[in-house]
Parts: sequence; C-alpha cells; structure tokens
Amino acid sequence: MGAPRIVRTRGIPFPTGDPSLDSEEEREWRRQLIDKALEALSTSVSGPTVFDPAGEAQPA
Amino acid sequence: MSWVSPGESARIVKVLDAVEPRAKGDGAGGVFPGFLSPARPVGLGTTHVLRGAAVVAAGYLPRAQESVVEMSGEAAQLSPLGSTHNLVVEFEPSSDASWEDVDTALRRGLLKLAVRLAEAALEADPTAVEELPAAPAQAQDDRPRVAAITNLQTQGTFKDVFVYGSSMAGSLPTLIDPNELEDGAVVSGQYGHPGLKNPTYIHQNHPVAAALRASEEAELGGVIICPEPVDQAQKELVSALAARLCKTCGFDAAIVTKEGGGNADADIALKVDALEEIGIPAVGLFAEMAGREGTAPPLVAPPTKATAMVSTGNYDEELELGEVERALGGERIDLRDVDAHEAMEIPHAAIYCALNPLGWGRLTCEDAT
Amino acid sequence: MRIVHYINQYFAGVGGEEEAGRGPELREEAVGPGKRLQSLIGDEHEIVATVFCGDDYAAGTAEAAEEILSLTDDHDPELVVAGPAFTSGRYGVACSAVVAAAHERGLKAIASMHEDNPGLQDAGAAPVIESGESARRMKGTIERLAAAVQKLAAGEHLGEEDGRISRPRRVNVLADAPAAARAVELVLARLGGDTERTELRPPDFDQVTPAGPVEDLSEASVALVTEGGLVPAGNPDGLESSRATLWLRYSLEGRDSLPEGEFESVDGGFSTEAANEDPDRMVPLDVARELEQEGAIGRLHPEYLVTTGNGTAVASAKHFGVEWAVELHKAEVQAAILTAPGSPPSS
Repeated sequence: MGAPRIVRTRGIPFPTGDPSLDSEEEREWRRQLIDKALEALSTSVSGPTVFDPAGEAQPA
Repeated sequence: MSWVSPGESARIVKVLDAVEPRAKGDGAGGVFPGFLSPARPVGLGTTHVLRGAAVVAAGYLPRAQESVVEMSGEAAQLSPLGSTHNLVVEFEPSSDASWEDVDTALRRGLLKLAVRLAEAALEADPTAVEELPAAPAQAQDDRPRVAAITNLQTQGTFKDVFVYGSSMAGSLPTLIDPNELEDGAVVSGQYGHPGLKNPTYIHQNHPVAAALRASEEAELGGVIICPEPVDQAQKELVSALAARLCKTCGFDAAIVTKEGGGNADADIALKVDALEEIGIPAVGLFAEMAGREGTAPPLVAPPTKATAMVSTGNYDEELELGEVERALGGERIDLRDVDAHEAMEIPHAAIYCALNPLGWGRLTCEDAT
Repeated sequence: MRIVHYINQYFAGVGGEEEAGRGPELREEAVGPGKRLQSLIGDEHEIVATVFCGDDYAAGTAEAAEEILSLTDDHDPELVVAGPAFTSGRYGVACSAVVAAAHERGLKAIASMHEDNPGLQDAGAAPVIESGESARRMKGTIERLAAAVQKLAAGEHLGEEDGRISRPRRVNVLADAPAAARAVELVLARLGGDTERTELRPPDFDQVTPAGPVEDLSEASVALVTEGGLVPAGNPDGLESSRATLWLRYSLEGRDSLPEGEFESVDGGFSTEAANEDPDRMVPLDVARELEQEGAIGRLHPEYLVTTGNGTAVASAKHFGVEWAVELHKAEVQAAILTAPGSPPSS
C-alpha cells in the first residue's frame, strides 16, 4: 500500500493487542510491537518494508 | 407487518435481511436447515417458490448501517426489493432483551414467516416449473467447468453469515451443491455496508450460479463457500485452500465474489491471485470506491496477478431520491438526518444491494468522456 | 482569456518553510513561474492576477481554496491555473483544491504536478498535467502546461497526449446485463486467451518516498495516530463508522492508559469488542507512556489523531494524511505510530 515502515500485527480488530493472551502476556506483546515500531522509525528504508516483531525486516 | 409493492410512492429504510418465501412439499424435508429444519443436507426434491415476493426486516440493530429501498423512480431498479411485493416486518425489542437475542429472534421469525407465506400457496398450480440438476461430478461435454467461489462475511454478531444454522467463521472452504442454496442452506445475519450486502434472498437466487447455469458455453462446476477471516494468516490460508480445492475438483476457471468492503477486498484479491498462481483463470466482482466525483483510485486492495475484474459500480457516487408518500422501517434517515419521506441526495453505498457483490445488479462504471 | 495563477509562498519569492503559515495574497501581475507561462501563451491570454499562499495554510485550512478564489472576484477570471507543484505534497494538495473549487464555480481550471504528488486525486474533474519532479525541470514543465492551457482555453479535450495524469472520472451507468452474467462472459474471454479485457483497471499506488530515520528517539516527540475509529465513549463528535469525511483529535494528557468504558471504537468494518474491552489494543497509550518515562522517546505528543479507515475513499484518506502531516509538523513532532485495523501485507 506504499507505507514505508510496517509492523506486522496479529489481527484486524486489535492492532496493538491480542485478546487470546492473559493480560500480562498481552502487555508484553504490545511492548514488543511498539519497540519494533521504534526500531522501524530509527531504520533507513528505501521502499515499503515490513518489520516482523518476531524476525527481521523484509521488503513488503 | 405491512405490504409494499413496486410502483408505490414508498421507501423502506433501515432494511436488514430479506428472504424469498419458499417451502417444501410433503415428505421432501425442510427449508432453512439448522434454523427451521434439521441441519442435514438439503437441495433434493421439490421446492415451492413464491416468486415476486420477499419478507423484509426493517428497523434498528446495532452495527447495522443505514440502508434504503425505493419502490418507485429510477432508484427502484438498483435493488432487488424494488421489483418485489414486500412484506415488511417492523419490530420493537422487549426492554430486557439483549441485542444479540433480538437479532436471533428476528432471523427465526423472518424465516418462519417466509415459509408460512410459501406454504399458503402449496395447493396452487405453479406458474412455471424449473428443473435444476445437481452439479455434475465430472465434465458432461467439452464446455469449461467454472466454480462460483462465494466469500461469506464472518465478523461476529450483526456481521455474520450462517451455513446450516451455524456461523461460517472459522471454517475452511467448502464445496456445496448449488441446489443447497435453493433450500436456504445459507442465511444472512450481516447488516453492514448496505450497498455491498448479500441478503438471504440473493443467496437463495445465487446470481453467479444462475448465470453459469444459463450459459451455453460454460458449465457450473460447483459452489465453494469461504469465510472472510479477520486474521491475515487465515485469509491467506483460506484463499490458498480455495484455489487448491478448484484444482482438486478439476475446475477450469472460477468467478469469485465477496461481501462487504475494505477487508473483504483483501479476501477477494488474495483468492483471484491464488487461483491465477496455480493456473486457474479467475474473474473477481469488485465495487469501486472512487470518491463522490469518481476521480479517486477505485480499489484499496487490488489483485496483483489477476487482471479480469467486473465492476459493480462506484460506491461513493451520489444519486437523488424524490419525496415519497409512505416510509416503512423508521421515521428518519440517520445518514442524512432527515425525515424518511423527504427528497435527498444519498450515496449508492446506502441503497440496499445497489452494488451487490454476488452480481445481482446491472450497475457498473464507465470512464466519463 | 483572463487567467488567474495560483502558486505557493516559495515560488512567489516571499520565503521558505518559515513563511508556510502565511495566508493568501494577490498581485495584479504574473509572478515567478507565471512570467514564463505568460510569455508562452501569447497575447490572446493574460494572467490578470497571481494569488500566493503559504503551504501549511493552504493545505491545512478547510476553507483556504474558497478564500483564495474569493480574492480574485474583482478580476473576473475565466481560467484558473495552479502550480506547477512538482512532488511537493502540501503545494499539490492546495493546487488541486483550488482547481477543484474553480471548476465547481464553472471556471475552466487546470493544475500541474508530478504523478507521485498526493494532491493528484483531489483535483476532481479538473485536468492535471504532468510536471517534472522538481523545479530543475521547470522549463519543460511550463512549456507543456502552456500548451495545455491554450487547448483548454480553446475548449478542447485534454488527454494523455497532452500530459494529462489525472484519472478520467468514473461514472455509474446501468449495463445491459447483470454483473454475474458479465462475469461469465469475462471468464469465457479469459479462457479464450484474452488477458486484456476487464471492466476495471487496478490503480497504481503511490510510491511514497520514505522519510529518513529518526536520529535520536530519546530527543524526539512521537505521536500516536489511528484509523481505528477510537473515540471517547458516546462518540461526542460524531465520527462516522465508515466512509469517514472527518478526523478528530483527543487529549492524552494526564492519562497512563485508555480505560474500558471511557473510549470505544465506532469503526463499522470489524468487531469492536476487543478494542472496547481494552482501548490500548487500538491506541497503545500504556506502553507509549512507559517508553516516555523510561526515556526511550523524548516526549509523547499530548493528543492522538483519529479517523475511521473503513470504506473511506482514498482521496479523503490522502487528504487526512496531508492535514495530519501539517498538524504534526507544526507541533514539531518527529515521528508517528499509526495503528490500523487492516490486513498487513503478506510476506
């Protein structure tokens, strides 16, 4: 879709959560996502790039 | 309950589901399996259809979006209900009922009423008799066998579609005989995106299945129903499996339809691409979201491999509705905050089934000269 | 014809970014790129006035286009030219808004910008002619624009051969056959080897030039923005559940998280149960505050911006994007995290 920095999340209705986790685990998951978002913001990209919270960045 | 007929200066607002009256003769089983008859395979024997009539629920439900049916004027031809005699059911929930229970009761009541109406005509001589053979297991001649891949909306209460009485959510692609649809195996409980809705009435008269049956050059291979999952990995899995199912069945091509907008576009795009990837030509039915002026990019999630698309019209273009004498379903049109009788300008998106994703309508888009 | 030319503050020579907030002003002559344009369109046509305006003001003020045109009322324009805006987003949005408004008033109108300019889709039915990427391509750009202006003034149609890059308008019509029957025809054509036939061509999506990385997040101001329709309970400002025409802002000051019951999502495109149960699943305030307190980010912007992404026209969405950029730029925000309840791309 052209967005340069994308963090992959788990489901449409809850971009920064995961209701299947208990509340402490969910909070940790959210922290992981936002940490990844900050990493993306500090990374130089040349085109749409997906940052997987569990892995490496790759072209979209 | 009240009747409203084609040509009347009338409007139905807050339209929810619509059902065609159908019933089975003696000993032939039931219609609407899982709701009014046991959840067992249907689609055999004789089905009595009260053609030209519909039972329609209209009123407020949460998450339902404003929808309008015109019974006269230009806009009447944009909705299947514009040319049927409609028994409109308006309702008032009991104060202690949950909305989920209201929805469930409404659906059951609507289906029962449709069957009662059709049963009243069981003794009458039919105006016409149609024979619908089951989809053949193998090619009958050298015509290509084409699958109708039918995505069903599955986003929870008020945005759900039922198959044999249960939500399609969480299911994998399923091959069914088109005749199962004739007996109401698929029932809608989906009230979002009025212009992009597939009501029960249209599932009972599946337009792609009907068009393939009518074709002399193609043969209807079968109907594959699929959920529209909310999870991306599930979307990809369902799309890949639907394509593989076509391959396994030996289908030569597929026509893919959706319900709803936005996310539903991702589902249809993934499927036509998955089909093309394994060598099965695919056509998708898309609605355009090109803005009021028709100048914006028409799709938010276009396919990247498939190229053949049918346009069911621009969702955002507005049209004029005249003043009417009679309004059913509600007193106001919330979308425009006006009295439901008044003349108004309204987007095609609000006209019930105007851009019907299952291909019922004639609406499409052209480039302006 | 009597022509009014619209340009931004930079090309009018009154200043750069520091003058971006400046309102519209009129000069009764050709200014900047208008001088070359005037020399090319001959004596038949005259640039009777030039209006210029700061980019932030023009792209970030709802009524700016009307204000710009009303300045020209005494000059009886017959034709309005805007740009060239090249790839400049705010300038392009302003040019498109001006020509769209002029077209609505019944004037002839034409804009010039690069095909990647986010303003391209906003020009409505007015033609947009391709420009180069930057002012280094000014000469060829103005020559092409001048030729198009002459054709437009003569009442001729502008097409691709004239460098027109705005999509032709799509209009609803009734076909002879239902969509399902047309799909069968199309599938037969496709089986017959025809891979060209379609009723709809996919749009080319924008190539967004990525902003550079934030150098030091511990010094940066970071904003939370969402297209997930998250608003205070009761939706006091009436955000639409789909096809949004507006965006809103709500304060995050004094909050460490978004409690259940105080915020809700009105987006009609998905089940909002999970977001309503814990609104931090849509706008991750709890974690963002934690990061602010730890010093991982310098400061969290004190309000979040919100619209509904469901069914929203791409043109509206682009417009909101430009307005958000202006808004955050003015507030000296260096980075934003957008939460979107949509489908992430496949890997």
